[in-house]
Amino acid sequence: MSLAQRPRPEPDRDSAPWWEAVRRHELTVQRCDGCGTLRFPARTVCNRCRSRAYAWVPARGTGRVYSWVVNHQVFMRSMADEVPFPVLLVRLDDGAEQGDDLLMYGNLTGGDVAGLRPGLPVEAVFVDFDEETTLVQWRPAG
Amino acid sequence: MGTFRDRTAVAGVGYTPFSKDSGVSTLTLAVDAILAALDDAGLTVDDVDALATHRVGDSTPPWVVAPALGVPEVSWYLDQFGGGSVSHSVVGQAAMAVAAGVAETVVCYRAINARSEFRMGGTGRGPAPLFDTQYQAPYGYFAPPQQFAMFARAHMNAYGTTHEQLGRVAVGQRASAVRNPRALKRDPITLDDYLASRWIAEPLRLLDCCLETDGACAIVVTSRERARDLAHPPVLISGAAWGGGDSLFSGAGSGVDGTDFTVTEAARLAPRLYAMAGVGPGEVDVAEIYDCFTYSVLVQLEDYGFCAKGEGGPYIESGAILPGGELPVNTHGGFLSEGYVHGINHIAEAVAQLRGTAGDRQVPGAEVALSTAQPGYVLAGTSALILRSDP
Repeated sequence: MSLAQRPRPEPDRDSAPWWEAVRRHELTVQRCDGCGTLRFPARTVCNRCRSRAYAWVPARGTGRVYSWVVNHQVFMRSMADEVPFPVLLVRLDDGAEQGDDLLMYGNLTGGDVAGLRPGLPVEAVFVDFDEETTLVQWRPAG
Repeated sequence: MGTFRDRTAVAGVGYTPFSKDSGVSTLTLAVDAILAALDDAGLTVDDVDALATHRVGDSTPPWVVAPALGVPEVSWYLDQFGGGSVSHSVVGQAAMAVAAGVAETVVCYRAINARSEFRMGGTGRGPAPLFDTQYQAPYGYFAPPQQFAMFARAHMNAYGTTHEQLGRVAVGQRASAVRNPRALKRDPITLDDYLASRWIAEPLRLLDCCLETDGACAIVVTSRERARDLAHPPVLISGAAWGGGDSLFSGAGSGVDGTDFTVTEAARLAPRLYAMAGVGPGEVDVAEIYDCFTYSVLVQLEDYGFCAKGEGGPYIESGAILPGGELPVNTHGGFLSEGYVHGINHIAEAVAQLRGTAGDRQVPGAEVALSTAQPGYVLAGTSALILRSDP
C-alpha cells in the first residue's frame, strides 16, 4: 500500500509525545495521576477528575473491531490508486475495564476484508511511511 | 427553560433555485434568498435589524451581507462556525434574540455552492484541521460518507439493520420529491435501483448520500405579535434546543450512553426540546429529519422517540414515514432528492407544511412539525426545532 500521497498527521501540542512514541513503534495512552483513568487522544486535563497530572504509559497494543468501512469513492485524487481500502474503528483492550472508551482508527493490514466481524481481535502494527512519519495499523491477532 | 416557547414566529421563507452550478457567488445567493424571504413575509430590507448564519469557511458572513443589502442598522448578528449540526441553532438563537428584545426582525440564511465551489465530500481538497483529524485523515478517513458509514455499520452490527431498510428511506423520499417542483431529483427510484447503485463507502451506496447543491434559503424570524400583522399566518417557534459536547473521543461516563455510538446527541437533546415545546413525539404530525445520509434518518427516528432504540429499520419498513403514514418524513424529498442547503431547507419545508401551502405534498391538517440537524456524529452536538401553526 502506497502511503506517500495521504494527508500527513498534524500533531498538536498535546499529541506530539504520542506521535513521537509511534515513531519509536510504541503504542501509548495517557494515565491520569489523579484517578487512574486511561485516555486517548491526548489532552492535558482529565475529564473525570480534572487533574492535569498524567503519565504516558504503554498500551497493550491489542483491541477488538467495533466497526469498519470499505472506502470506494476517491475523495482525494492522490489516493485514487488505493481504493477500495478498509478503515477500522478499534476498541483498545486497555479500555475494557473503564467502559470501553479508548478507540483508535487504522487501516486493516495483513488480513482480508471478508474476515472482518464485530469483536474481531486485532493487534497494532507500526508502518513506517517515510523518514518522518509512522502510522498505527491493525491486523487480526494471533 | 421554555421561556421563549411560542413567543416568536417564522414570518417568511425564501429560496434561490437549487442547482449543481449556480454561476454566482455565495453573497449573491444569500442576497437573493433574503430578498425572497422578506418579500414572502411582506417586509423590506428596512425592516431588518439582525442577520444570522452558520458556515465552515464556505460562505459569506452577515457583516458582508448586511451592507450588500443596505440594512440600515444591525443590532445583532450571528456568524456561527459549524456545519449541519448547528443549522437549527441559528434559528433558535434568532428566536432567543427576538424574545430577549435584542432584535425585532432577524433573517437567518445559509448560502452555499456546495457542488461547484466547496464540496463537503472533500473531493479535490484536504480534510479540515479539527481536533480529531490527525487520528483519522492519515488512514484516508475524513469525508462525511465514511463517517456515517462507520456508524451505520455499528447499527447493523448491533441491531441487524439492513441495506434494504436504508434503501427504503431513499426510495420513499424520492417519491415525495416527485411532487416537489423545487427538487433536483424527481425521477422515481425503486429498491432495486438503490441496491444497484455503486458503493461510496460500504455499507453506504451512492443513493444513501445526499446531493451536493448550490443554493440558498432564508427564514425571517420575528415576534409572534408582529408576525400576525404580516403576509402569512405565523408559524410559531415552540421549541428550540441545541447543544451536546460529546464526541467519539469523550471517554466513558460523559457520553449519551457510554460509548454506544448507535445513540446520538439527539437522544439527549430530545427530552429538552419536547419539554420546551410542551409536546411529545406522538403529537408531531410531520418531521423533516436531517438526511445527509439515509442512516441519519433511521437513527434519529429512534433518538427522537418515534420508535425504540434498534427499531428504526422495522419502523421504516412499516411505511410509517411515507406520505400518508403515521409520521411523514422529509416531505420535500430531503437532502437526498430536493437539495442540500445544510439544514435550513428542512425548516423551510416544515413552515410550508404548517402554513398548509405544500401543494401536492401537503400533510393534511399538519399542526406540529419537528425539524432536526445533523445528530452529532461529526462535530459534537446537534440542534432541532419544533414549530406549530398559530392556534
